[in-house]
Amino acid sequence: MSLAFSLSGQVGQCRLQVQAQLAATGVTVLFGPSGSGKSTLLRMLAGLQDCDGEVRFGEQLWQTDEVKLPPWERPLGMMFQEPTLFRHLSVRGNLTYVMKRRGKAGDLNRVVNQTRIEALLDRSVATLSGGEAQRVALARALLAGPELLLLDEPLSGLDHGHKQELLGMVSEIARRVPVIYVTHDLDELLTLSRQVWLMEQGRIVASGKAHEELSRLDGPLAQRGDATALLYGELGDYDSQDHLQAVTVAQQTFWLPAAQPVAGDEPVRLRIAARDVSLCRQTPQDSSILNIHPVQVVGLREVGPGQAMVQLALGDQRLLARISSRSARELEVFPGAQLYAQVKAVALG
Amino acid sequence: MLNDGDWLALWVSIKLALVTTVILLMLCTPLAWWLARRRLPGQALLEALLALPLVLPPSVLGFYLLIVLGPNGPGGWFAQWEDARSLAFSFTGLVIGSLVYSLPFVLQPLKNAFAAIEPRQLDMAAVSGARPMDRFFSLVIPQARQGYATAAILGIAHTLGEFGVVLMIGGSLAGETRVASVALYEHVEAGDYANAHRLAAVLLVASVLMLWALFRWQRKQTAGVLP
Repeated sequence: MSLAFSLSGQVGQCRLQVQAQLAATGVTVLFGPSGSGKSTLLRMLAGLQDCDGEVRFGEQLWQTDEVKLPPWERPLGMMFQEPTLFRHLSVRGNLTYVMKRRGKAGDLNRVVNQTRIEALLDRSVATLSGGEAQRVALARALLAGPELLLLDEPLSGLDHGHKQELLGMVSEIARRVPVIYVTHDLDELLTLSRQVWLMEQGRIVASGKAHEELSRLDGPLAQRGDATALLYGELGDYDSQDHLQAVTVAQQTFWLPAAQPVAGDEPVRLRIAARDVSLCRQTPQDSSILNIHPVQVVGLREVGPGQAMVQLALGDQRLLARISSRSARELEVFPGAQLYAQVKAVALG
Repeated sequence: MLNDGDWLALWVSIKLALVTTVILLMLCTPLAWWLARRRLPGQALLEALLALPLVLPPSVLGFYLLIVLGPNGPGGWFAQWEDARSLAFSFTGLVIGSLVYSLPFVLQPLKNAFAAIEPRQLDMAAVSGARPMDRFFSLVIPQARQGYATAAILGIAHTLGEFGVVLMIGGSLAGETRVASVALYEHVEAGDYANAHRLAAVLLVASVLMLWALFRWQRKQTAGVLP
């Protein structure tokens, strides 16, 4: 299934002009600062916001110059920033509202289990906490039997624990239903995304694989103070004495602190923040840092007064290091230089 | 307790109040929705006209209604289907007068209730598969139920309390246009204070009960499920 659109419209002071297509699988994160038009684009895709242009989802034409499919005829599930549960209905009433109206109603029991809301079914929506309400909203979106899920910053306002719980559910759901996920939170991008659209001032300025966009020096993500690279690796041995898990990236072994062996067989994602990487000419002796790997400089760029971002190749993967401009000069950091990267912290993402 | 004439007058009052309120609820639903959701040129003027019965002396309203409903107005033309010369001094005429007189009391609560419904709720219903009419019945009306209760009670109460307009266009025909408030006035005019006391007491108690029920229900609603 693929989604392709070319849309333009005016909302208040903000002009939106976007064009993109994607093979709709997994999570695509629509990322950008507040006010860049992410939510508006999502509303346009849902048919809630008037705009000109075309939207095509697989074989279905959702919008052309002649026809505009109304929201209730688009096979979508949607979550807004606020849970927006129907206030006059119970939790169960909210769920059956959707099931009654969507022909191919989803499986209530399965969705209720998946979102862990069994205990909430007979509650009034006014009594739910923020996390509970968003889980109900997610269940309601799933019960629409959607072919595409549009999630508009669904985790804003939730605490860390509830965020992680919902992020896990979204990842799980995205195995079956393509998800477009709006956020301005880098952490959510790193957790969820294989595919990212970057939005600025009403336009999609870049789109591509998340790990490539994250490390692109001329892109907006590498300019950030919290710029982070995403690497893919294979799980290796577990050192039960020191509680360290090995992950192999491009024939190099990274050691991660882990209380117990990490399970799973897929390629695992490693997040490495640019500020946690330092560079040196020789292999340092007697360092407390576990992860020191030979890298080649691909490029560098000033990202602030006296600050440089260095893109490094580790095999065919990319790492970022944020160092001072003085260090860059003294170390003779230039494209092609062979250096060692000392990685202070690695997280599984 | 009450004499037969007063019971009849009370019945006419109640019938008038119920008929008027039912018609007004149906009439004001689309009108209030439109006023709450749209911003169009001339809307302020329209709203001012609709609110006029709140400030205008009822006798002024009654006078104009008399002209409109009378044999030389449009009312006279419509009256020919009822084999009458005029709609004034008929129950139909009273209903028309009451519709105008009580309209703002039904319109305002509905308008406020509709305006309080978040647009997001409607958007969410739309992406949940609900068409516009479906949304109106499955979401707007249930969420505006307090507004409907208030509108209904105020509509009934205000129509029961009608006096000036009825006096101008009603004519006090027993069983047809003599309502309780006019009957009370006639008792006082005739110096029949005993009957006046009884009728006044019934009207007073009925009004208090109605408003008490409304406020009690509203308190319960706000204390209960609705945030």
